[in-house]
Amino acid sequence: MKRMLSAWRLVLAVALLTIPGGSALAQTYPAKTIKIVVPFAPGGISDVLARVLGQKLNESWGQPVVIENRPGAGTTIAADFVVKSPPDGYTLYFIDITTHAINASLYRKLPYDSIRDFSPVMLVTSTPLMLVLHPSVPAKSVKELIALAKSKPGQLNIAHSGLGTITHLTGEMFKSTVGVDMVNIPYTGSAPATTAVLSGEAAMIFSTMPPAMTHTKAGKLRAMAVTTPKRVAAAPDVPTMIEAGVPGFESVLWNGILMPPKTPKGIIDKINSEMRRILQMPDVKERFFAQGGEISAGAPEQLAAHLKSEIEKWGKIIKASGARAD
Amino acid sequence: MTDLLNNLILGFSVALTPMNLLYCFIGASLGTLIGVLPGIGPIGTIAMLLPATFALPPVSALIMLAGIYYGAQYGGSTTAILVNLPGESSSVVTCLDGYAMARQGRAGPALAIAALGSLFAGCVGTLLIVLFGPPLAELALKFAAPEYTSLMILGLVCAAVLAHGSLINAFGMVILGLLLGLVGTDVYSGMARFTFGIWALNDGIGFVVVAMGLFGFAEIISSLEQKEKRELFTSKVAGLWPTRADLKASWGAIMRGTAVGSILGLVPGSGPIICSFASYTVEKRLAKEPGRFGKGAIEGVAGPESANNAAAQTTFIPMLTLGIPGTATMALMLGALMIHGIPPGPQVMTQHPELFWGLIASMWLGNLILVLLNLPLIGIWVRVLTIPYRFLYPAILLFSCVGIYSLSNNSLDVILAALFGLLGYLFIKLGCEPAPLLLGFILGPLMEQNLRRALLISRGDPTIFLTRAMSLAFLLLAALMLFLMIAPTVRRRREEVLHE
Repeated sequence: MKRMLSAWRLVLAVALLTIPGGSALAQTYPAKTIKIVVPFAPGGISDVLARVLGQKLNESWGQPVVIENRPGAGTTIAADFVVKSPPDGYTLYFIDITTHAINASLYRKLPYDSIRDFSPVMLVTSTPLMLVLHPSVPAKSVKELIALAKSKPGQLNIAHSGLGTITHLTGEMFKSTVGVDMVNIPYTGSAPATTAVLSGEAAMIFSTMPPAMTHTKAGKLRAMAVTTPKRVAAAPDVPTMIEAGVPGFESVLWNGILMPPKTPKGIIDKINSEMRRILQMPDVKERFFAQGGEISAGAPEQLAAHLKSEIEKWGKIIKASGARAD
Repeated sequence: MTDLLNNLILGFSVALTPMNLLYCFIGASLGTLIGVLPGIGPIGTIAMLLPATFALPPVSALIMLAGIYYGAQYGGSTTAILVNLPGESSSVVTCLDGYAMARQGRAGPALAIAALGSLFAGCVGTLLIVLFGPPLAELALKFAAPEYTSLMILGLVCAAVLAHGSLINAFGMVILGLLLGLVGTDVYSGMARFTFGIWALNDGIGFVVVAMGLFGFAEIISSLEQKEKRELFTSKVAGLWPTRADLKASWGAIMRGTAVGSILGLVPGSGPIICSFASYTVEKRLAKEPGRFGKGAIEGVAGPESANNAAAQTTFIPMLTLGIPGTATMALMLGALMIHGIPPGPQVMTQHPELFWGLIASMWLGNLILVLLNLPLIGIWVRVLTIPYRFLYPAILLFSCVGIYSLSNNSLDVILAALFGLLGYLFIKLGCEPAPLLLGFILGPLMEQNLRRALLISRGDPTIFLTRAMSLAFLLLAALMLFLMIAPTVRRRREEVLHE
């Protein structure tokens, strides 16, 4: 009899333990390995940033943090994986503008919905693009460049790092806003694209900050403008596109964190506040700054709103340019 | 000259501190280990270890990461020679003659010559960086789309040289490889080609998948079939060291391989495999008996191994001096430099001389450490071959599958590798050679991209390939190679006709 009672107690105890409770989870969270899914191959800017964050998270929470690279199909494979992951707070998705804002319009049919199927956590960084020119091009300012391009339609080459990348679409936005005709030369990645401008094969590129800063400092490329609404601390003498005469021109490369759909709010808030704390650390700030970026840690709602507006904005540009990826 | 000497002294004083020596050793050993393990390569390892280096001073971090990179070149040749499994993509060419040598019981000499050749090449590569760094990097910039196209065409024509069977067979394999290389998304139009709606194929079939399948898995299947012959080979292990004849035959190959690798390593986007393949081609062309190649010619190991190690050193030049990364791994090293707060470019040499020269000195030291590490291990490696095959092959399969999966965490890659293994087995049975296919696979898409880019830039004018000097030179060379290959056949036919 006693044995049966203790057996029942055991069963009852186990049953109680397995009852899922959202708030209970949040209290014991994090209790196991956290996985940050990065939709790029190891070594890119986003991958390195994710690793910095992952290491700091590991230090502060004491739980192992693993970076899982799932590159492929323009980041849609990773996105699909995250959508299907359980919303228990152990899967984070480190994204940038391409994965969500651009892909939503670039692919005609995705196996997920870019807004509904993800829980936004926060916007992490924003970095500008910089328009750089090969020194042989006779234009010292953006206005001169526009005049030159208008006088030579179809003769100037503008490089970009691949169809649907931010460098490509920013170029398209520039061409349609100011009304010039330049020929796109696609490359596979930003390193070959920048090398092409260095050698003069292409005249210009809307480059990401790290190579742009390196080569403009060395005098090999001419910095024309940055594409953020305000000047950046990493290049204080370079005017913004708006200052240089292209009103309303804004193109920001941002990184953010998403989680699987229906993740409990308690967990999202916990991660958000922890990340905000990490992003205030001086050594993290320094590393992000080295990439030319600025921290923009905000609330989950900020990312949600930003995603929506970005998808709309780039959707229009993608449609106008006719780019598609399938 | 005294300037150079001062710089070198500075460099060695930085590299020889106990901490930096330790990091060099760790990097080189780790590099060798991942070079031996199939699948995971230096780029993944460097990315994983990058956060761990944040706490280190930049010089130590770079020394360790660089050690991983060129250490992997040493390690990759070990498995290529022992079990026909290219641990690194650049060791595919070493599989051809290295494995043949191993089957003749000469794995020891093969491994030793690979290590020694790599040491020589590494030293020369380092010297080149020291003496000619910046001007050489400028040369790399002269390569534009037309030159790349012509170089790739030359490469495709030479791919047939890799085969020692019928020429039509070889060209057929090259074209098959080309077709396989087309799978994926087109860079220019964004359309998916040959993907059959499978998302994972949008970026094409991975090179590692094809190489492991065609070489490693196919070899396992074929060996299992010929059980008796297999056991014969493993029991017959001749000496561990190269004979004097071996050394005499190899030193020319080592020199030439170093030259080829040093130059081609500078060209952004070429990669170590193109360098080792180019060296193999040169050796086969210059050999008195080209028929020996593919059956255990030691020049076929010495040349390519020297080439890919020389390339591993000289790829640093454009990155360190101009801030231009030639390969994906260099782009990662660039990122590492930036994260440590050192924007790479011409000013690195002047503003951070201890970093630049310390790194160079440690690269030389690293090569030395690697040889000292690898040579004694040869005895152990050769013993691995004597493990009964029924234990060896499951281990190889397991490591390979884990390695392939670790690339993109995608099980489709493993399945594809298995399918390529079956295909490779079919090729062995039909007497077709996988090496030209692999080259068509790599060079074909590169050629197509650059061809279209060149035509885009010239606005459709095809004469651009002939008006640029280097491009014209490559095309003429390709035509010459083609003629040399076909001429004997033509002559034979004419003689036959004349006889009648």
